[in-house]
Amino acid sequence: MTLDHCLILSAVLFAIGLLGAFTRRNAVVVLFSIEIMLNAANLNLIAYWRFSENPAQLSGPLFTLFTIAVAAAEVAVGLALVIAVYRHFKTVDLEKLDTLSEE
Amino acid sequence: MNQETAFWILSVVAVLGALVAVRQRNLVHGVFALLLFFAALAGLFLLLMAEFIAAAQVLVYIGAVGILLLFAIMLTERVTGEGKRIFSRGWLGGALASFAVLGALLLPPLRATVLPAHAQPVDPSVRALGEQLMNPYVVTLEVLALLLTAALIGAVATAQGTAKRKGAAK
Repeated sequence: MTLDHCLILSAVLFAIGLLGAFTRRNAVVVLFSIEIMLNAANLNLIAYWRFSENPAQLSGPLFTLFTIAVAAAEVAVGLALVIAVYRHFKTVDLEKLDTLSEE
Repeated sequence: MNQETAFWILSVVAVLGALVAVRQRNLVHGVFALLLFFAALAGLFLLLMAEFIAAAQVLVYIGAVGILLLFAIMLTERVTGEGKRIFSRGWLGGALASFAVLGALLLPPLRATVLPAHAQPVDPSVRALGEQLMNPYVVTLEVLALLLTAALIGAVATAQGTAKRKGAAK
């Protein structure tokens, strides 16, 4: 397990998340694809910290902690938006949600 | 050697979980695959000596985000998605774009840079993390607390907004 392996894994996971966000129609699936991308970024932060010159500085885990908290806030707001949109349009299909106005 | 094996198993589980989550037709099965992905990532964090992050990953992602996603799915669409296209019209372009991003991420850095191969010994105590959180990062922590509060209030207001207005109209 070297830094290269972690970075390659992280890149692959990020690409999978991007694939989901680009290709799926359901808004909830797009949201959790974004979560996959955020997690891949977290793995990157932790891996760079682990293999850094001075791991006692702990900036990697701290940044990851902040990312996790922000991601949790993001998913809460995102799901609330999805539910509000569903109330209004009776669908969460992103191809049918092409307007911001009432009609 | 053991670490190596664990890393490979966990990374295969993570990649498979993410792939199934992204491509699964049944949304509930997709969320369970996503939970598997989160668990594998927590294991990877443990392997990389970030114990507290692994615990936070389990608590926040598997505990909170997974349940929240399940609730959102149950509150919105029919979960199975039978007989419908699950991929959007421009899926081919999206897939090509994500593969392009993967290539852009992988190719140039791996050829050019020399990465440190060996990890320094590290003390995985939570105590140091807490002290750092209190000493240089205390403002960040407070801003984060504010952000979480604002996000929660905003989420409740957004999800309730239309219902309240409907009640007022009556």
